[in-house]
Amino acid sequence: MAFSKAMLVARADLKMALQVKYVRLSLIGMGAFGPIIALLLIVLVVASVPLGADYYILMAFFPPMGATLLAMFSVIPATMISANALVGEREQNTLEPILSTPLTDRELLLGKTLSSFIPSIALLLAGTCAVLLGSTIAFVVTGKPWMMIPDVPGLFLILCAAPLVILTAVSVNIIISGKVKRVYEAYQSSGMIILVLMIPMLVPIVTLEADMPNPNVIWLANLFTFLISIILVTVTWALALKRFNRDTMVSRR
Amino acid sequence: MSEEVEILGLTKNFGELVALDHIEESVPEGSIFGLLGPNGAGKSTTIRLLCTLLKPTDGTAKVGGLDIRESPVKVREITGVLPEEGNHTLYPSLTVYENLEYFGRLYGVPDDEIPGRIQDLLTFMELWERKDDKTGTLSTGNRQRVALCRALLHNPRVLLLDEPTSALDPVAAKRVRELIMSLSQKYRQTFFINSHNLAEVQRICDRIAIIDKGKIILTGKTTELREKLHGQQEYRIRIVGDPSKAESLVRSVDYVESASTEVDTIVVRIRDPLQNNSKLIRKLLDAGVNVVEFSEEEASLEDLYLETIKGGSS
Repeated sequence: MAFSKAMLVARADLKMALQVKYVRLSLIGMGAFGPIIALLLIVLVVASVPLGADYYILMAFFPPMGATLLAMFSVIPATMISANALVGEREQNTLEPILSTPLTDRELLLGKTLSSFIPSIALLLAGTCAVLLGSTIAFVVTGKPWMMIPDVPGLFLILCAAPLVILTAVSVNIIISGKVKRVYEAYQSSGMIILVLMIPMLVPIVTLEADMPNPNVIWLANLFTFLISIILVTVTWALALKRFNRDTMVSRR
Repeated sequence: MSEEVEILGLTKNFGELVALDHIEESVPEGSIFGLLGPNGAGKSTTIRLLCTLLKPTDGTAKVGGLDIRESPVKVREITGVLPEEGNHTLYPSLTVYENLEYFGRLYGVPDDEIPGRIQDLLTFMELWERKDDKTGTLSTGNRQRVALCRALLHNPRVLLLDEPTSALDPVAAKRVRELIMSLSQKYRQTFFINSHNLAEVQRICDRIAIIDKGKIILTGKTTELREKLHGQQEYRIRIVGDPSKAESLVRSVDYVESASTEVDTIVVRIRDPLQNNSKLIRKLLDAGVNVVEFSEEEASLEDLYLETIKGGSS
């Protein structure tokens, strides 16, 4: 398998996807939305709440919430780019020419996957750095004790679970690309996939101890999300590989 | 001459529908083959099978000696494809140049050769000036030309073209026909063309097949088929004066099989025309009929096509 050919497909897909207004908006909007919301809340609490029990209770929610927000907002652009890259080919009748090239199924799939995976991960990492840096500046400026936001369990979620969820979103689009005919139908798949990332957000909230999220529960929720992501990505990717078939795609035009 | 495309019992079913039913055909290297047939006959399915987009239900085919079942990637490397409605198969948000450059790379054309090849093809198609325009802004005919450039870009051994001149104006269609003939002669490239355009097929194809309901119902060299038609050759005699008198005279001759009048022209079928044509003209002149033109009705595949399709359908 030639990685260079897959990268060629990825670059072209990304370039074409970025010319679609909705995709551009989702990349810029969602990419900025998560970090901005997280940072605004952090700055608001750090600047306005005096040090004390209330401050620590409030601040305890930021690391798990921030990490989840960042992860969730990175899945949406991945879904939109992959929908354009896969269903978009069918919609604009470019499927046959691309399938007629000497690309193997795996090169084509890898290319389509990378076109959504690379920008989404870049967005996620940039957002994470922005929150980490922004919150540090807020702590330094206000003289409040420094906290790592996102914290270690949050980083685990961002670095380990989120990429898998992004891959799941892409493989779901590969699976449904043989069935749906319009890109917007494929966009809707992101809604269900994002639900997976609600686990680490909701579990610590519903298992509060003395009004504080339990760090062990946060870890467990993140580990659980990671495990679910592994299962999901394995199942959906296997299905996607099975499903991605030139004959099926061309026959169902 | 080796066979560049060999179709061996190729069959394709879509569920209950039999799109292709054990077709057999061969196309020699450097020749131009035309597949004719009505809509839904199986022409596009044949091309999709040959370029490995579809998998055969039964049978197989060899393209450039490579089995489409066993070596699909290699088959795709040596084929250039213009899909059905080729003018709709370009990336509308990319420019003409970007579309071609992308496919040149996907087909493995060396990076340093891509610009030259794109320039040559676009110049030939009179589109070089529009290389920076997005294909979505081009006319249907121009998009078809770009799609043709894409199929030719990697100098494929075999070109599978589905209705190559369908969206082109007569001048552009003529240029494309000339290009096809020149590539076939100069570079021994083999062309497999689906077409509805009988005149075009007659003009450029060395061999044709007529397909209907997934079955090849007639196949042969274009020259052989025209010879077959020659047995039913008609001649047109244009006269000045009363055509009914001339028609009765023509009908009275024993070697004339049939005669009918179209305004000032008598259309006749003559047995053994090489011997009897001159006799008939002399007879008419001797009888005082003012013959101003005697011409051979050009043998057309259209009649044969319509007759074959009609026969296949009944």
